[in-house]
Amino acid sequence: MPKSLQDTICNEVLFSNFFKKHYQSLYSYLYYKFGDYLNPEDKTQEAFTKLWQNCGKVKPEKAKSYVFTIGNNLMLNEVKHHKVVLQYQKIKPKSHTNENPEFLMQEQEYLQKLQRAIGNLTESERTAFLMNRVEGKRHKEIAAILEISTKAVEKRIYRALAKLREDIEEL
Amino acid sequence: MKREELIQKWLDHALSPEELEAFKQLDDYEELTKMQTALQYFKAPEVDVNSAYNTVTTTKKETSKSTTWLMPLLKIAAILVIGFGTYFYTTLPTLTTHETVVAHKTRVELPDTSEVMLNAVSSVSFDKDAWTNKREVNLNGEAYFKVAKGKTFSVLTDDGIVTVLGTEFNVKQRNDLFEVFCYEGSVKVTHNDKNVVLSPGESYGILNGKEFRYEEENLKEPTWIRNESSFKSLPLQEVIQEFERQYNVTVEAKNIDTSQIVTGSFTHTNIDTALQSITLPFNLKYQKKQNSIILKRD
Repeated sequence: MPKSLQDTICNEVLFSNFFKKHYQSLYSYLYYKFGDYLNPEDKTQEAFTKLWQNCGKVKPEKAKSYVFTIGNNLMLNEVKHHKVVLQYQKIKPKSHTNENPEFLMQEQEYLQKLQRAIGNLTESERTAFLMNRVEGKRHKEIAAILEISTKAVEKRIYRALAKLREDIEEL
Repeated sequence: MKREELIQKWLDHALSPEELEAFKQLDDYEELTKMQTALQYFKAPEVDVNSAYNTVTTTKKETSKSTTWLMPLLKIAAILVIGFGTYFYTTLPTLTTHETVVAHKTRVELPDTSEVMLNAVSSVSFDKDAWTNKREVNLNGEAYFKVAKGKTFSVLTDDGIVTVLGTEFNVKQRNDLFEVFCYEGSVKVTHNDKNVVLSPGESYGILNGKEFRYEEENLKEPTWIRNESSFKSLPLQEVIQEFERQYNVTVEAKNIDTSQIVTGSFTHTNIDTALQSITLPFNLKYQKKQNSIILKRD
């Protein structure tokens, strides 16, 4: 096992690199898991602030799981009372002239169904699935971020896909 | 290759070109691509990493500096508060205090049926809980004690300590005057490391740091118990002060030598009679105004 050169993450260059590498990643993780409703950006920032304040106590190799755990806990504190609604970004429909209004309406409908179906997934399924589908991450990468086995990631994603298809069919 | 396997590989972004072709032939292909396209709308928004970085790194300066030195201090402060709190709570005696104001006298009963008569503007305090082990009374002012038989009984004043076993005695401690009169039994007075033992009828006093003793006298109790203050060879100002305590007035003595020695008494029940008994021997005149009395030479 490679021995880390720095004992702590207090070094400014080290922290800065770590920050740029994992900030968006933690934010996305919290966003997929808990939705936009409970302000995952605040929690992400808070988690990194905690790391910076306690940098003397955190070894560089532990820093990633440190911020993920804190971010997760901060969200969990708030999530108890709320049901997650993952808000999809409001992207303006393409201004294609050949798409008739009926088609656009169907598309909207489909998005709403999908949104509801995603909301019905369990947190762990949703997180893994969206990281995979939206961010284009491979199973191995997701396994590394969530600190679980590749096999577990595979199962979650496949189960999520099956559930989504079923849900959309029904709706 | 089986359908499920293809989907699994697709999910892992691991289809080879041939497999991709096979995947496209699947019935599910259209549905899956549709979903895949739609899912892009759920992408987590981009966050401004740089500005977040600045916020996070600047917060450290504000918070960590203040906490690093404050926290240990707060801990120490908390320990001190708790420590002193329990110390005082457990060790400080719970004192019972009785006080009299101007022109009032009161009778206080101590836990062992000893009696204290408290003259005007005086206070006694004692520790009820420790009474069986330590009969101790703090006195400020003048009081007459009738002590029940028992262990040593002490009266603590600023000027000295009076110790007895079981007896009757009067203690007066006013400003520069300290006076003990023994009526029954025997009394030990401790003043500045000096001990004096008094028998009935004897007295011991200190005025402005000087010792004095009255002649022996056979009295049953101090006269103030019967609402009369009496003085023997004491300066006029002591008499005036006592008068003020008994009648709730202020006395102005203009152009009068208040260090003249007085022997006499005044009553607590009639202000005019009392004033006459003070002024007549000195050929003084008095004027009454609301709450003050002016003494003048004739």
